[in-house]
Amino acid sequence: MEHVKITTALIVAVLLQWTLRNVAEPLAFIDFPLIIVVYAALQGSSIRALFYGTAAGIATDALSYGLLGANGFSKTLVAFVVAEIVRRVYVDNLLLRIPVIAGACLLDDLVYYGMHRLLGQEPTGEFVTTLAYTVIGTTIAGTIIYLLLDSFFAENVKNRRREVFTARRQTRRRNPIRLGNRR
Amino acid sequence: MVERSQKEVWKITPWVMLLLLLGNFALMAFDAREANSRQRVIRVWAQTSADFVQSPVTFISSAVTNYFSSISSMRTAQSENDALKQRVQELEVEVQNSKSLAFENERLKSLLELKSETAYRFLPAQIIGRDTSAWFDTSIINRGSLDGVKLNMPIVTNGGLVGRVTAVSPLTAQVSLITKDKSGLGAVIGALGTSNALGVVSGTGKREILEMGYVPGSVEVNVGESVYTTGQDGIYPAGLKLGEVAEVRAGSASEALKIFIQPSAKLSSMQEVAVLIYEPPARPEFDKSLPNANKKK
Repeated sequence: MEHVKITTALIVAVLLQWTLRNVAEPLAFIDFPLIIVVYAALQGSSIRALFYGTAAGIATDALSYGLLGANGFSKTLVAFVVAEIVRRVYVDNLLLRIPVIAGACLLDDLVYYGMHRLLGQEPTGEFVTTLAYTVIGTTIAGTIIYLLLDSFFAENVKNRRREVFTARRQTRRRNPIRLGNRR
Repeated sequence: MVERSQKEVWKITPWVMLLLLLGNFALMAFDAREANSRQRVIRVWAQTSADFVQSPVTFISSAVTNYFSSISSMRTAQSENDALKQRVQELEVEVQNSKSLAFENERLKSLLELKSETAYRFLPAQIIGRDTSAWFDTSIINRGSLDGVKLNMPIVTNGGLVGRVTAVSPLTAQVSLITKDKSGLGAVIGALGTSNALGVVSGTGKREILEMGYVPGSVEVNVGESVYTTGQDGIYPAGLKLGEVAEVRAGSASEALKIFIQPSAKLSSMQEVAVLIYEPPARPEFDKSLPNANKKK
């Protein structure tokens, strides 16, 4: 059921990416598919996150002037890096997720830009400005979206925390005072 | 279904990633190599399917925006109404004048035995989408190959030239703006045929400004003069308005002027555009054979 929910969220994210820029220009600086790909990677399902990254990236590229596959490449790489971080470090906390999404967005943009330059295509956007706006926009939107998604996946979050932190052994101690009273 | 342990999953993850990265890289390499020839089928499919989402969203969002803007404009309606009434009276006088001028024009044309003909056909279109990446700045219109739109057809508004078609699907087309960094087109300041200020207009990456180069430093150019296409680039027809000269940086007899142009089309806020059904005249192919090679008889 969790996979269905994340897949649905990813489809919605791609649709938002296709349409929202025409409603308001600043919304171009929010990378909705990346937010969901990183969320999938944060759940610990690494292989699924890789496939989500490729699918969402190609869907985004299809309606862009950029190279077909550039977003797929960068998002797949980001999904892998985030999944590796999740494997080693505990980031199941909203405050810890903020630097993760910011870093993921930065890496995604750098790889995307780099691949275009490597293959002789010059992106139109100014490098520093576009990079900064995208990181800020995606981080803010990502934090809010993660709050919403966590409320949808509340049960899974609880289970995951239970796996990470095993329950403390409950030992019953005798109360010496009470023992004393018996005497 | 085979259940894999977490350890096995982590083992195969890098390989899956490599496979997917290679697939994406192959797609990119293919796309980059063929960018200037024909289009990708996958792009055509994606654009067509996206139209079913983009069109309704654009329709709804513009309806909501129009509703709220109509409420806010009610406040100024009375004063505008008075001003417009006055303007209508003025225009009526102008219309009478222009009618007599048009009549005179027809009479003179018939004297010269010239046929009045419309040069190009316009196809009105609406912008239904924008580039999905913040790194690029293209637009998507709701007209495609089924409407007769073809690659490289010019896009105009009532203000002037906007750009050209860079990808076509059956229902939609992708439009690249003239302000794009690598765009370039032949232009002239003033009337074609009489002005010597010929040059190349290129995009700067910013929507508010275009740059014109290769205009000889000896030519006099003034701020506010209009700039038109020359048609020599083989894409755009001659006589389309590009904008007006905003700044001139002086050159010398041996150094070209650097001219900045403000586009006359409102590129930041346009919603309605028109596709100019224009195909440039075919150019003769160059003889690619080697001069000393034996030709087959």
